[in-house]
Amino acid sequence: MSFIEVKQISKTFRVAKKKSGLKESIKSFFKREFIDVKAVEDISFSIDRGEIVGYIGPNGAGKSTTIKILSGILIPDSGECKIDSMTPWKDRVKYVKKIGVVFGQRSQLWWDIPAEDTFDLLKDIYEIPEEEYQATKEDLIRRLNLQDIINIPVRQLSLGQRMRCEIAASLLHNPELLFLDEPTIGLDAVSKQVVRDFIKQLNREKQTTVILTSHDMNDITSLAKRIILIGKGHVLYDGSLKKLQNHYETEKYVSIKTNDKLNIRNKGILKKTKTKEGYDLTIDTRILSISQVLNIISKKIHIEDIEIDHESIDNIIVKLYEDYKI
Amino acid sequence: MKIYFESLAMHLKGELEYRVNFILSFLSQILVFFTYYFIILALFTKFDHIKGFTLYEVLLCFSIIQFGFSFNEVFARGVDRFDNLIIRGDFDRLLLRPRSIILQVLCSDSDFVKSSRLIQAIIVMIVALVHLHVEWNIWKVITLILMLFSSCVIFFGIFLAAAAYCFFTVQGLEVRNVFTDGGKHMAQYPIGVFQKGFVWFFTFIIPYAFVNYYPLLFFLGRKESILYAFSPLLVILFLIPCVLIFYWGMKRYASVGS
Repeated sequence: MSFIEVKQISKTFRVAKKKSGLKESIKSFFKREFIDVKAVEDISFSIDRGEIVGYIGPNGAGKSTTIKILSGILIPDSGECKIDSMTPWKDRVKYVKKIGVVFGQRSQLWWDIPAEDTFDLLKDIYEIPEEEYQATKEDLIRRLNLQDIINIPVRQLSLGQRMRCEIAASLLHNPELLFLDEPTIGLDAVSKQVVRDFIKQLNREKQTTVILTSHDMNDITSLAKRIILIGKGHVLYDGSLKKLQNHYETEKYVSIKTNDKLNIRNKGILKKTKTKEGYDLTIDTRILSISQVLNIISKKIHIEDIEIDHESIDNIIVKLYEDYKI
Repeated sequence: MKIYFESLAMHLKGELEYRVNFILSFLSQILVFFTYYFIILALFTKFDHIKGFTLYEVLLCFSIIQFGFSFNEVFARGVDRFDNLIIRGDFDRLLLRPRSIILQVLCSDSDFVKSSRLIQAIIVMIVALVHLHVEWNIWKVITLILMLFSSCVIFFGIFLAAAAYCFFTVQGLEVRNVFTDGGKHMAQYPIGVFQKGFVWFFTFIIPYAFVNYYPLLFFLGRKESILYAFSPLLVILFLIPCVLIFYWGMKRYASVGS
């Protein structure tokens, strides 16, 4: 049995129907109409210990709902969920000792006091033995580079500094499973890299299982080998990221710097545009490989410089969403 | 319990970060409190007594109710302002921690500015006691302590039940003020001065009468039975439905979501 087993989880929210306009507002004041919104439907997957899984999908797809169910905040209408043989919403107190949760958009640190004070309080909340706590704290401070910021009131920290403290706070009790809900939202490039490197290291050294949601595909590509794609409450894809990339990455872009005039016609070349310095070509690699293209061109003209680019992961995701109509 | 005191210390630390604000708020609380106090004084310039209760008897009653209310405002602010936790979504965080939810709600907030009211309640009580010429004995001391204790307990219960209301909707929070603030204002007077229906309601539904009426009768020497002295203990029973309502609301929240 896997570490995490999720079987056919469904969750429906009742939302008050609201139309715009004062008249409608008054009407709804006296008589509320409700509509049922299916947040997630029939979600099933299993995750092994030590995996990093990217959980992706557009806004409103049901990502947060799933995370909330898995972490025991919400109770699903139907379905089963076993994590380390515990049901999150039934064995709450025992279960939450084993998990850490970081919400990128919400803070668990006390606003007006230094992060270290929050850490000390968490130590007592989780009943972490003194020695273990000191060791873990030292380790986190070193790895996340917190020495200089841990004694400053949290409200004076930058977003990147605060996020590093947030992550440390979620890991003080050495959880086996870590949920990261948009951990890099709003961070600059350097901070993002620090966070990513840290998570990678954590997973490698402590075998911590990580479930990660993010809209920054670079987070996903650099961390997760496996992704679960969710849309309109259903699991649409569950598998390796590489396979998905190969499937969708059928186009490559070639920029040529040249002074010569290029005459080229081939079914594999989807688009040719003249630029200031030469030409941009879009190539369908299913028909024409890159080496074939270079071969043809180099015979015809003198190439001063050449650049080959592949499709960005963001574009792949856009295509994916289009394909699944979500 | 250790966690609670630690959180309390941290809240105090946080509040003291804004020093000027703390001092000004503390002073403004004194003014608010004295308006309540003057209303009662004004009333007694017209009447000598209300249904047999003199000014200082009413003031004693008033101070005991204020004490319990302020005590909860300072030390159980998290329960009082529970709607904040729900609205900001911080309640989810509590569910992720391996501790009792009510304990964590208690830890989530406190308001030391309100301690100025607590101090004033004690001052008014002392003034009232000095003027009352009570024949002190050990039973009367116990009665007084029990009245203060039950006053804290009853408002904790009411705050908790009002907090449970937030699980269902965060709109129309004024409704709960009928029971917290409204109840407080009524209970500033000995419950016995009201109509029979009210007395019944405040005995069996929200047992204010056990806080400030039945024990008061014993304290003032109008009833001899020792049962009156210990009647405040019955208020503890009131906590049971309040806690149950809270947990019931929590269950619903978890299955309805935000």
